[in-house]
Amino acid sequence: MIKTIAKPAEKKVTACGECRSTCQSACKTSCTVGNQSCERITREENPEKITK
Amino acid sequence: MVHVFKYKEYNYIYDSGSGSLHECDDKTYGYLAHMLGQTADISYLTADEIKEIESDIASLKDAGLLFKEETQARPAKSNEVKALCIHICHDCNLRCRYCFADEGAYHSEREFMSEETAKRAIDFLIENSGNRKVLEVDFFGGEPLMCLQTIKNVVYYAKEKAAAKGKKFLFTTTTNALLLNDDATKFFNEEMENVVLSLDGRKEVHDAIRKTINGKGSFDLVIDNIKKFVASRGDKHYYVRGTYTAKNLDFASDVLFLADNGFDSISMEPVVTDIDDLQIKEEHLPQILAEYERLCDEYLKRYEEGKGFNFFHFNVDLEGGPCLSKRVSACGAGNEYFSVAPNGDLYPCHQFVGDEKFKMGNVYEGKLDGGIRGTFAENCLFTRKKCGDCFAKYICSGGCNANNYHFTGDMNDPYGITCEMMKKRIECGMHVLARKRELKNK
Repeated sequence: MIKTIAKPAEKKVTACGECRSTCQSACKTSCTVGNQSCERITREENPEKITK
Repeated sequence: MVHVFKYKEYNYIYDSGSGSLHECDDKTYGYLAHMLGQTADISYLTADEIKEIESDIASLKDAGLLFKEETQARPAKSNEVKALCIHICHDCNLRCRYCFADEGAYHSEREFMSEETAKRAIDFLIENSGNRKVLEVDFFGGEPLMCLQTIKNVVYYAKEKAAAKGKKFLFTTTTNALLLNDDATKFFNEEMENVVLSLDGRKEVHDAIRKTINGKGSFDLVIDNIKKFVASRGDKHYYVRGTYTAKNLDFASDVLFLADNGFDSISMEPVVTDIDDLQIKEEHLPQILAEYERLCDEYLKRYEEGKGFNFFHFNVDLEGGPCLSKRVSACGAGNEYFSVAPNGDLYPCHQFVGDEKFKMGNVYEGKLDGGIRGTFAENCLFTRKKCGDCFAKYICSGGCNANNYHFTGDMNDPYGITCEMMKKRIECGMHVLARKRELKNK
């Protein structure tokens, strides 16, 4: 029996460049890219983040 | 590639090609492990059981969720500068033994960045940011709060300049909280997108390393400042960030101590040092990996009890997250992100500051060394040795250029100890995701 836990949304090579520089996060020594959100999606879902 | 792993009684399958995570029973786990060349006894499986397992695997393959071909995506080519780490001062009011920055001095003279140079750094970022709308600046040190008025003036300047260009800044400050008074708190809450507060955990752990200039532990001097700040922070971002060393390999107790003190956004990082009694060594790995599991179990227990907290390294976003181009690009240091020393010199990131080999220019010159930038721009997952057959590659992105360079002498040669810790944290993060999903569906 195999149960799917997480099925990614279609992975696109959007390369829009809106993502953060990874090191500007909490760690500054052992960053992972995969624990970040896509900034463009985040901003599209939270428009106030770019308008305030 | 497909990675199977166990977390206590749970069996997981992670397909790096598709980024899917699955859970399975012991029989399927054994069959897949055997299929992947691992030692696993599957002699007890009946023909019908094998048929059923193979049918499940085939269905997932057809759906593109298992054994999916890996990406051919490569880093996007761009000359835009996104972010600067502004070293507003190379001086500090603490003398922490493990400090990579030579207790704030960066192996040079203690100095403060002038307001003029900091403003020039802002101009440099705007001028080199192309069409990018959102720019990031991290005020770093040394201890940035020794220069609060300069930071204020620079932030107001940056906002004004950005508005005129249709851009927006996101600011972060990293501080040891010694000078985090009401004035600084008010300013940070108004202007900082994120604030990173250094606190190593239990008083005895913190005080053993993070000492004042007079050699006394700083825990009692910062804890109330941090508590007061976090209480005032509302829903804005912050991280209480600690460093663990060989002296506190039971660092889960420090993370939990921080959570017990009301901090709900926590990061705890392994030390980067060559100081013998503090350095993380290979012989420490078994204890460290077990400690991440201990932390993960308690993290989930507290989540279930409604007392959850955010631990930076257990966040693995499999369903959203960055696009593939970003996932293969590593951190962007030296290409889209730079550090600015107090005299305006530019380096690939804060961990290279002061190393003349990596000096890339100066904000007053307004241009970057193309050779060094080219090297960093080319660095990606596919130039990293050892990453090709690692399940974690699209999550970790090949690790930190600076750590690789400082430990192995080659930015493209990932440091094995860091890799093992990274893989364990990612497995814990996947377990967290699965168990949270289960609790949500109950």
